[in-house]
Amino acid sequence: MVDYFIPTTLIDTLEFINNNEAKIISGATDLMVQRKKGAEITPYFTKKPVFVFNIKELNFIKESYEHIHIGACTPVSDLLNHKGTPSLLRKSIEVMASPALRNLATLPGNIINASPAGDTLPILYILDASVKIETLNSNRIVKVKDVITGPRRTILNSNEMITEVIVPKEEFTKSDFVKVGGRKADAISKISFTYAVKIKENKIIDLRLAFGAVGPVIIRKEELEEKYTNIELSKFKELKQEIINDYRQYITPINDQRSNKEYRKKVALNLLGDFIDTL
Amino acid sequence: MKDISKTIKKVDSDDKSSGKSKYISDYKMENMLHAITVRSKHQKAKIIKRTYPVLKEGYYIIDHTDIPGVNFVKMIFDDMPVFAENEVNYYLEPIALVVGPDKEEVLEIVNSIEIAYEIQIPTYEYTNSVINYNFTKGNIEKAKKESESEIEYTYNTPYQEQLYIEPQGMIGYFENNQVTLVGSIQCPYYVKAAVVSILDSEEDYIRVKQATVGGAFGGKEEFPSLIACHLAIAVHKIKKSVKLIYEREEDMETTTKRHPATIKLKAYMKDNKILGISSNVGIDAGAYIGLSGVVLSRALIAATGVYTIDNLAVNGDVFITNTVPNGAFRGFGAPQMLFAIEMFIHHIAKDINVEPLTLRQSYLAKQNDSTSTTGTFRDPIIMPEMLEKALKESDFIRKEKEYKQENSLKGIGMSWFLHGCGFTGSGEATHINAVVKLEKDKNDLVTILIAAVDMGQGVKTTMRKIVSNILDIPIENVIYNHPDTNLVPDSGPTVASRTIMIVGGLVARAAKQLKENWIDRNYQIFTEKYKQPSYIKWDEDNFRGDAYPAYSWGINIVEVEIDKNTYEVTVKEGWSVYDVGKAIDEQIIIGQADGGQLQGIGYGYMEVMKAVDGKIQQKNVTDYIIPTSVDAPILHTYLIDNPYPLGPYGAKGAGELTLVGGAPAVALAIEHAIGKKVTKIPVTPEYIMELMSNE
Repeated sequence: MVDYFIPTTLIDTLEFINNNEAKIISGATDLMVQRKKGAEITPYFTKKPVFVFNIKELNFIKESYEHIHIGACTPVSDLLNHKGTPSLLRKSIEVMASPALRNLATLPGNIINASPAGDTLPILYILDASVKIETLNSNRIVKVKDVITGPRRTILNSNEMITEVIVPKEEFTKSDFVKVGGRKADAISKISFTYAVKIKENKIIDLRLAFGAVGPVIIRKEELEEKYTNIELSKFKELKQEIINDYRQYITPINDQRSNKEYRKKVALNLLGDFIDTL
Repeated sequence: MKDISKTIKKVDSDDKSSGKSKYISDYKMENMLHAITVRSKHQKAKIIKRTYPVLKEGYYIIDHTDIPGVNFVKMIFDDMPVFAENEVNYYLEPIALVVGPDKEEVLEIVNSIEIAYEIQIPTYEYTNSVINYNFTKGNIEKAKKESESEIEYTYNTPYQEQLYIEPQGMIGYFENNQVTLVGSIQCPYYVKAAVVSILDSEEDYIRVKQATVGGAFGGKEEFPSLIACHLAIAVHKIKKSVKLIYEREEDMETTTKRHPATIKLKAYMKDNKILGISSNVGIDAGAYIGLSGVVLSRALIAATGVYTIDNLAVNGDVFITNTVPNGAFRGFGAPQMLFAIEMFIHHIAKDINVEPLTLRQSYLAKQNDSTSTTGTFRDPIIMPEMLEKALKESDFIRKEKEYKQENSLKGIGMSWFLHGCGFTGSGEATHINAVVKLEKDKNDLVTILIAAVDMGQGVKTTMRKIVSNILDIPIENVIYNHPDTNLVPDSGPTVASRTIMIVGGLVARAAKQLKENWIDRNYQIFTEKYKQPSYIKWDEDNFRGDAYPAYSWGINIVEVEIDKNTYEVTVKEGWSVYDVGKAIDEQIIIGQADGGQLQGIGYGYMEVMKAVDGKIQQKNVTDYIIPTSVDAPILHTYLIDNPYPLGPYGAKGAGELTLVGGAPAVALAIEHAIGKKVTKIPVTPEYIMELMSNE
């Protein structure tokens, strides 16, 4: 029999992970698949699983003047029903897996799973989203892009838990999210691309771009974004080839059972080019 | 008289949609043991030594030493062992079965078994031919000599996975001195024959029952015989109930799939006319032959698709490779060949600068034309009428011109196809010899006694409809339970688009017998046996004569649009016209058409399955991508009646027909959109990118 814990309060959870070698499971839509041993056999866990779906205090969406705060145990489908959900985030959730999975999956689950193909990750990166990480007696706020250090790797310690995702509210002149999967629904990304741009008086004053599934982590290059900010829109378009060339070196996809690296690279750059052309 | 085609509610739809239907993994028996298969870790190797752990009481390891009969799965050739003995020929080939009460412990035992191998070099190339078939029609040498030019293309088709919702599974138990097997199967009597052979037992020692089947598509034709043999050996030895259910990954990595194929076609041309075609077909059987010879022969017979070509040379090989054995899949060799011939006709037209539609029409087979095997198309062919309907409904001709000029990435494609109904040639008479019974009890309830399995295709509804219509009794008074070999005669396997036309035809005859001899409140039973029409002549050795008793026909038109940045294909709309003789139930045929066409289209542009070093790469539903409802286009389906005299109410086969045209239609639509010749499927975004960058 596996020793597991289904807490109903945050404090119980933090105490438990402080005193046990534990693994928090929030949604389980990927983790239970990774750990399964077969029908009618208990999945394989080296650490005690803690299922957090019953912590009511972490199931919320709140808005402040500048931010939207999303409780760690809020299923992503709730974000689809919430009016104030940033449109980019909504777009990524709409194409995430299937309705059944969206009713269970959570943003912290997507973050901690740390897959380069995680659907919400490029969005959380370019929106400069942060997470609140708590232990029994401390808490810290860290940007999502600094939480993930590699495929399936994060900075979280075993006594720490993400309790909240904090997304800044911002208005962009233009933004979009493109997911390229093997089919139109219920697919894992071969490539994803997102952008958010602010344009004032024909000048780009804020430029953010990110790519998913074309490297070990989400690709967002702030130094390149800065390089092409405060540029006239027409000039920006003229620089298309240069921009593509600047990004090319960072797009380092692999061959796998879902696609190949040549396709991933070419399509990632096509999407970048198309973004520039149609801006 | 009421029209049989008028749709009625499917008899099992309430049970299936409410969750009441019991599938094999839902069965639980007292003191039931669980079984897990021990599998090879190598693609080709000699087994040097096995080290089995000491087992706790109640746990067993079953292997080849427990087999009372000969260690082969009874099929056409004795080549596939039930359990590997001294060698393995593909990755994950079954070696033994571990059985015990706690499934987790069973898994631990499986993992603790040590097998020492001497690794050998595997083959994945098409070099080791184990079957060669060839035949000619007319005079190909003369055609070659008279021709002024030759047009040649090679087409490649991939694996396709059936991906039934319910994985393979079976339960075995010992009851009334019988080894009894209940399973998710298409062919109860195939399973029985295999088990009788492996146990070297009397016929009545084995009983096979069907559980509700959650999809099959051919994948549960011959493969379940292997699982049944594993279980039967265990049940025979232990005399307890044992459950063996495959995990999804296990199912996808180790069960039969559609044969990958390479098809080389060469046309001998003169004055823009096709004098003859030579076809060279190679199919990949995997590690053992199984049904591959029959798959090859059905592919070869389809060598000219719906066209009449006077001079032919057809040659085909079954190649053995060290990969998972391939087997039956809806279409059975035809999807590969029809993809090739449909693309080829199109490519010839382009090369000689003739409208493809014009070229197609000039070679379209007509009644009394000679078939690819020099048989005769005896029944009326209504393709011209079907074509008119398809062109009109889809607005094909206008779109075809417009999209070409628009320089858009829109495309429209059309395929024409036929499918032979029933077993090849005299197979129904020489191999199957179907028997059906109709039994009336004293309450005037009529039971259909046949071995046909409802796997979602609706046969429980259509058979009852046939009987209730003929007898003019309510459908509720007609009973058709899951087949049980203790109770039903062998009406043959549920395969080859034969169930309604052949078995249904016999059931209809039995019903007519009962009607003529009906005595109220009396027990009555009528038996019908298959009799081959005397005009069907088939020379199996030389592929000469009437390959099938009848053909169903179809046209698919598919419209696509391709994304210029991502090369993703959107299938926007589809139009189909079918001649299935006469629909026994319109909605059931439309269900077959929607599902079949989507499965065919998926095969054509989406479904990727590859083996690398003999290992299947796409082994779960996440990685093996098939169309979802979101990907499904609007499909318009039209049926035109063309009754076949020997089918019940004129019905012919419909199960496979609806799949076989999907791939060429979508591939031609994509070819039209991008203006590049497509020679392989699936036409994935990766392949489209490749084609479009070769400017």
